[in-house]
Parts: sequence; C-alpha cells; structure tokens
Amino acid sequence: MKTHWQILVVDDEEVMCESLAAWLREDGYHVDTASGGRMALDMARQRDYAIYFIDLKMPGGMDGIETMMQIRRLHPEASIIIITAYATVDTAITAMKEGAQEYIVKPCNPEEISLLVNRIIKVKNLQRENSILRQKLARRYRMHDVITKNPRMQQILALAGEIASLRSTVLILGESGTGKEIVARAIHSSGDRELKPFIAVSCAALAETLLESELFGHEKGAFTGAAQQKRGKFELADGGTLFLDEIGDISPKVQIDLLRVLQERSFYRVGGTEEVRVDVRVIAATHVNLQQAVIDGRFREDLFYRLNVIQIQIPPLRERREDIPLLARHFVERLAHELGKDVADVSENALRVLMDYDWPGNVRELENAVERAMVTCRGRALEASDFDFLSRNGPMKAWSVPAGLSMQEMEKLLITATLQSTEGNIKRAASILDIDRSTLYEKMKRYDIARAKEEKVEEKSEPRP
Amino acid sequence: MRFLYVAGTPEVEHEALESIRDRVGATFGVPVRQLALPAIDFAFDAARRQYSSAGVLEMLMRTCPEDALKVLAVTERDLFIPVLTFVYGHAQLNGRVAAISLARLRQEFYGLPANRQVFVERAWKEALHETGHTFGLVHCADRQCAMALATNIGQLDRKRDSFCAACAARLGARLPQSPRSNP
Repeated sequence: MKTHWQILVVDDEEVMCESLAAWLREDGYHVDTASGGRMALDMARQRDYAIYFIDLKMPGGMDGIETMMQIRRLHPEASIIIITAYATVDTAITAMKEGAQEYIVKPCNPEEISLLVNRIIKVKNLQRENSILRQKLARRYRMHDVITKNPRMQQILALAGEIASLRSTVLILGESGTGKEIVARAIHSSGDRELKPFIAVSCAALAETLLESELFGHEKGAFTGAAQQKRGKFELADGGTLFLDEIGDISPKVQIDLLRVLQERSFYRVGGTEEVRVDVRVIAATHVNLQQAVIDGRFREDLFYRLNVIQIQIPPLRERREDIPLLARHFVERLAHELGKDVADVSENALRVLMDYDWPGNVRELENAVERAMVTCRGRALEASDFDFLSRNGPMKAWSVPAGLSMQEMEKLLITATLQSTEGNIKRAASILDIDRSTLYEKMKRYDIARAKEEKVEEKSEPRP
Repeated sequence: MRFLYVAGTPEVEHEALESIRDRVGATFGVPVRQLALPAIDFAFDAARRQYSSAGVLEMLMRTCPEDALKVLAVTERDLFIPVLTFVYGHAQLNGRVAAISLARLRQEFYGLPANRQVFVERAWKEALHETGHTFGLVHCADRQCAMALATNIGQLDRKRDSFCAACAARLGARLPQSPRSNP
C-alpha cells in the first residue's frame, strides 16, 4: 500500500517542490513540501517520512547535505534522495558518504524516478513486514504474555526473566502440553540472545544416527547419502539458543556427544576432523523423570547434572485450574480471528465443565478442545454442550474407594493426597479436610506423613569447569 | 449544468481534438464542450526548449469557464515539470484542470512511420488518465488500466483506453453517471 508511506520534498524553488510533490501524489503517496532545511527539520520532528527528496543547493545556511545529516540523526532509517541540477562526482560522493540512498540529477527521466521510488518502497514494505513479524513473535513469547495468575507459574516466569541473559543450561520438566517450548522461547526472547536464532529439536523424533547428524552436522561423504556438507543445529543456533525437547529419549552415544559439547563448547561434525566452536545456550526439556532414569541407568548422571544447572518444573493444568478460564477466553479471542468465527466468550456453564475436567493433555488439550468447540458452536458464546466431546473422550474418573483398607490407612491416604494438592500448605490442607491445623499436625506425626515440598522451581548452581 | 471542457491550443489539429472530445465525453458520461485556447508561448522555457506544464495549468485556472466541471487542455507543445525531462500530461489531483501534450504521442517522434490510429489511441489514453486525476484517481496497479502510470511510450501502448472496474467504480461515485469500464 502506497498510502502508508509519506514523502517530504525539500526545495527552495516552489515550482520545483510543488511539481515533484504533485507528480508523486498522482502515484498515491502522501507528500508534504518544505521550502528549506530548517522547515524540513521541523516537519521531520513531527512526522515520520519514509522518503526525503532534498535539493542539494538551498540558501539560508543549511544546504541539502547539512539538512540530510540532521534528518538522519532524527530518523536513521529514512531514505534520502539528493536532487541537484549541478552534477559533479565530488558532490555525489559526499552525498552518498553522508548517507544519501540515491542521487539524482534534475531534470531526470520520469521512468528513473518512478523506478527509484518503487524500489525504495518495496524495501520499506519488506522492512515493515519483517518488523511486524518480529513484533508478533515477541508478543507471542514475551514473559508477560504467558497467561497465568497461578503463583507457581508466576514464580517460574520471574525466574525465567532472571536467567534469560545467562548462558547456563536450563532443564524444563513438565507433562506433555504444559508449554515447555513456550517457556523456553520466552527465556530466549527475554534475554540478550533475542535477535539470534532459536532452534528447536525434538530428540524423540529422530533415530540415533540421524539425531547425531541433525545436531552436529556432517561432512560430505560421512555416510551413504551425505552428498554434501551439512551444518547441524548446534551450528545453526550459534549465538542463540538450542532447545532440545524430549531429552530423556536420547541414546547413550548421543548422551556422550552432548556431554562433550556442553563441557567443551565445541564438537566435530559427523565424519569431520575440524573442531567447530559455538556459543549456544542449551535449554533441554522432558516429560520423563530424569532422576529416575539416572537411577535406572538409562540416563548419564554427569549429563543430568550438566543439564540440570537451572531447573524449571511446569505444573500440569489440573494443578493451576485458576488459569483455565483465562486460557479458555484467550484461545477464544485468538481462534475467533483465525477461524473467522463470531464467537466472543465462554459461558459460565461451559467454564464449569472445563474447570471440572482433568486435562491430561494440559494446555495443548485445552486449546484443541476450545478450537473443536468453536468449529461446531452456533452462538456467540461457547456453551457447556459445545464441550460434550470431553466427557466422551475421557470421562472424569470417579474416586473409587480402594477396598481392603482400614479406616486409618484411608485417613493417611486422604491426608497425603490433600497435602500434595496444596503443595504442603498446612493451612489450606486443614481447611479442605475441615480439621484444625493442630489436629492435622498430630495426624501427620502419627501416620509419619512428610510435608510435601512447597517450591518446585529451584535454581541449582554448579561450578563451571 | 456543468460541462467538461476539452480545450485545444491553436496548433492542435481540429480532427484530433474532436476525437479526444468525443472519447472523453463517452467515457465520463458528462456533457462535453470544446474550447479554443490561446498559444502557450508564455510557458516556454528557453533553456529547456519545452513548455512548463505548471504554467499551463495556472493559465487554465485563471481562464476556467464558470460552468466548467473540469477543463482538459490539449497541446502539441512538449510539456515538462522542472524535476523531469518531460511529461505526457499534468493534472491537478482532485482539481479542475489538466493538460496533455501530443508531442511525444506520434510514431514519427520515435523515428517510425506515421500511424494515425496509434496516435489517436495514445491521445485518448492520456486524456482519460489526466482527466481521471482531476476526479481524484491516483495511479492504478493494473498496468492495462488507463490510470496506470506510463513513463515511456511502451507502457502507454500497453494500457487500454478505458478504466479498470475498480477505477471505474471510484469514478462512478464522483460522476453524475457511471463511466464505462472495461474490466
């Protein structure tokens, strides 16, 4: 769209100024004129022009080059075209050196000026598109756009903000669909690596040999089918962040290679002899219990500690139910736009259904459920009936009383489960169980129940080699 | 009633002017009148040996008949604006006056044998284009539309002597009757 772009023509000769402005207006641009450098500067302070046509020779102590230099100080991204009737190599060189994008000698061919403006606007459109896309990405992953009012999630976000500019490895734990990659991207985009690449690799998706080549690249002829040299994800992420998802699924061989990269910050391509050095921050994630995998001998202990420098545990959605209405409404708002549906809200009844559901697939499942409901929804708000498929897919498990337990064993189980759900908060657990805090303490002592850990987000430090 | 005036300078041949007048009238669907203009020697620039189109437009604004909806001047003189080597025409965007030059529309100008039909069609396209500007139309992205920008004769020849549907619709909102489109 041409009309977005504004042009300022600066020339002390009114007829020159007005005729060029009129010619550009016929092309659909918004064009203003200024009769001198000072006036042009005043106008540039008030409006952001995309292109400036500036006459080289102007009276009043401020010639075209001086005007251009001052405007460039105000708007470094502006495109400046110097116009002159007296073409010399020296003035052209000076103009270009001081930042003029183009230099035209008047009178010039209409075709030349038209091509020039079109070329500049094409670049401006691409720059604008690029900037919009960057803003979109930033909005999507910015910390404060992670939708939550859950205290544990807010602690996670605060920690993510604090560690964003560090190089320390981060291990993100959480069930599938809890948003591990979103948190990883948020860490990346909040830190000083924001403008560098964020490369995500799902380790579970690739076989051992493929993963090796995918991560470290390979040399030409390294194996059958390696027709040319290929850069691996570590190289592609140089300066930025490498997100290794499903890290718990990698083979012992890749575990050793990964350990070496994390220790040495360098590696060899598959089939290569040249050491490649990289500056990459690794964020790993998994839904499996890595500590248990270490105990079972399936995961190297030394790699676990390398990865586990900063640990973030994302709670499942059923443990942050207060976020369900916020998330559901957020998805409705976003999907209404994407699906072109005139749905604006979620009814209270529908929210009750969503709050009661256990969400084994977490936030991803909630997003899919909202999308599915919106596709079939006929009103302006999602109703409980729009979510009927949830009960068909996975009915809420009724709590079945295990037979063969004594009353005391049952009481112990109930107290343990309640304390787990309150994350060790005695006051809340006592309130749920409808007993005094002192009574709860007494029963915990009697049944030897440990108070569950309140905080699962923790930062562990390990001395760097 | 207001008229669209097609005004020729003395050197313009009568037949060409009538042809332009008829085409403009048929396309814009408004009553058209013919007007005789004086020579435009006042706009002559000795250094460039061309005529200032801005000067011609100023003269038209001063002498514009009161019942004129728009005035389109037609001249054989080669027109220019200071920053460009030449212009095929010049108009007040959203204004009342416009001018076209026939100087560069003949095949002979490019060293080719004369072709009356080609010349007349080029004149029609320029007349529609500049008059379109006076109705607020800007350059059209459809390269075949009469409102497309033409900076050389090849581009002018690729255009049609009619408006695309979008430009015709925009014009329609500003005219007593809808102009003819050729989508």
